[in-house]
Amino acid sequence: MSPRGLTRSRWVLAAALVAAGSLGLPETSYAHPHVWATVRSEIVFDADHRITGVRQAWTFDEFYTAMAVQGLDTNGDGVFSKTELEPLAKVNVDSLKDFDYFTFVHLGDDDEHNFPLKPPVDYWLTYDKSVITLHFTLPLETPLDPTQKEVQMDVYDPSFFVAFGFAKEDPVKLAGAPGKGCSATVKLPDPGSEEDAKALSEAFFSQLGPGSNFGSQFAQTAIVKCATN
Amino acid sequence: MRHELNAIMRGAIALAFGLMLVVGACCAEAETAAPPSGFGPPSAAPSPFGAPSQPPSAFTPPRAAPLKAPGLFGAFFSWVVDRQQTMQRELANGVKRLKTESAFAAAVGLVALSFLYGVVHAVGPGHGKTIISSYVVANEQTVRRGVIISFIAAALQAMTAVALVGVLAIALNATGMAIKSWTLQLESVSYGLIALVGLWLLTTQLVRLWRRWQEAGADPAVALPHAEHDDHPHHDHHDHHAHDHDHLPRDDHHHHHAEGEVCHHVVDAQAVSGPMSWRKIMAVVFSVGVRPCSGAILVLVFALTQGLFWAGVAATFAMAFGTAITVAALATLALGSRELALKLGRGGGAWANAVGTTCALGGSALILLFGATLFAASLGPARPF
Repeated sequence: MSPRGLTRSRWVLAAALVAAGSLGLPETSYAHPHVWATVRSEIVFDADHRITGVRQAWTFDEFYTAMAVQGLDTNGDGVFSKTELEPLAKVNVDSLKDFDYFTFVHLGDDDEHNFPLKPPVDYWLTYDKSVITLHFTLPLETPLDPTQKEVQMDVYDPSFFVAFGFAKEDPVKLAGAPGKGCSATVKLPDPGSEEDAKALSEAFFSQLGPGSNFGSQFAQTAIVKCATN
Repeated sequence: MRHELNAIMRGAIALAFGLMLVVGACCAEAETAAPPSGFGPPSAAPSPFGAPSQPPSAFTPPRAAPLKAPGLFGAFFSWVVDRQQTMQRELANGVKRLKTESAFAAAVGLVALSFLYGVVHAVGPGHGKTIISSYVVANEQTVRRGVIISFIAAALQAMTAVALVGVLAIALNATGMAIKSWTLQLESVSYGLIALVGLWLLTTQLVRLWRRWQEAGADPAVALPHAEHDDHPHHDHHDHHAHDHDHLPRDDHHHHHAEGEVCHHVVDAQAVSGPMSWRKIMAVVFSVGVRPCSGAILVLVFALTQGLFWAGVAATFAMAFGTAITVAALATLALGSRELALKLGRGGGAWANAVGTTCALGGSALILLFGATLFAASLGPARPF
């Protein structure tokens, strides 16, 4: 090896080492949630047993609640009424649009193709036991037939700023007129899944960018199954 | 060195004193068992929450299924996330306890908990780890300076948070939405400043390199350190003179290292001495510190709703102390890896120059890139929560 070649390879090694040191070590950071939300959903069926939308009820943690309702007790009676919380509910719901309502509806495992949702038809906030719950109804653009293939709904924040988790009790209900043999369950990520773990390492390295998808590894899924006719 | 030591001591004393004051204030507050008049809610009710006039509701807040991610990494992240949530809940309870239990014990508990929360919380983004680590590596700073920078930045973040919540929530009775919007704007400002600081650092490094190149003729790798020595008459770091490139035999051919100090092998720590570098340090600290710590804002507002704003302030500074330790530790690690890279070269001048140049340019470029990316991202749509 010529002396020049040696210098160059050393340069490369130096660069790699320093990159590992200055980038790798401090960047073992991870996106972490600042807000926790407990999800309860109702899958809405029409008379033809098709899914037309979903009613969401997201209950937030005490810290976020304190922050969110600060200054909203406008009449000073110590109670946060539905009317007083209305401006907050509007801001929440309006800005949810840019985040796809953190609700991703698809057929089977095919999370590449999510069905478009329309802006909420109704929304309101309740305050109880020092936490707030955001209620809203999201209609699907086109009703879905759950009999051919199971319908799945992931609720998660890709950037993992908000940690969504389905409620331990009654996480998903069926509302309206579900067909016979319809049921809803919640699937949590499988800690042993090799495939998911691979996806995770990709998410890990992209977490800093604006298009971060770090939260997807924690995504919990509601599954609606109906017996085929 | 003496200067820095004094600065550390002064800083530590000031911080300790400040903490004592704050803890004292919050205890005094708690002993009165009623919310302080200046900071409490405008109504006469002892607390806006669980107002006794309301009929008891049947609502029980639902508990969520635990968050779990797949894989080995995932198990680790899940654990950290779970800890984070548990600590946040404990923090909320810690603030509430101030009103019920023995105030002193509760205050000490809250401060300790906030400190731990800070240590863990700082592992997440937004506390200047990358910026400060890159800066100290790029500019051949000592471990000591890395520590000082980390502490000043954390203290500034805490003060920004206290000022923000103090002015907006207490003085102006602004809504949480307004506080959030201010926080987001300060974040954008911070990221923009970080990018500018990165650009500035990169430019000065490039100019310096180019000058050396000029002075050294065609072979910068060989002549670089000499140019450095001739160029700066005020250079007085005797403990940095023992270099393999020195052609004159010297009596003091050994290093004098103060404890924890990083040895600068080839490129001397020019940049760290003199007013110029302090200007840079202040720029780095300010760009990081102008962004309030998000965890601190949550604690402050929560404490405020409990009528115990001063407990929130105490918690914020304890938290800042914790984040500073994590950030300082990571900056030290980064400096250590730089040292390791140097050692692997076995004292080769060209090698050391390569490491030095890569650090200087890479570190500065990283700050620029990081700031620009985050700035661009911060201009995206506003988060709903």
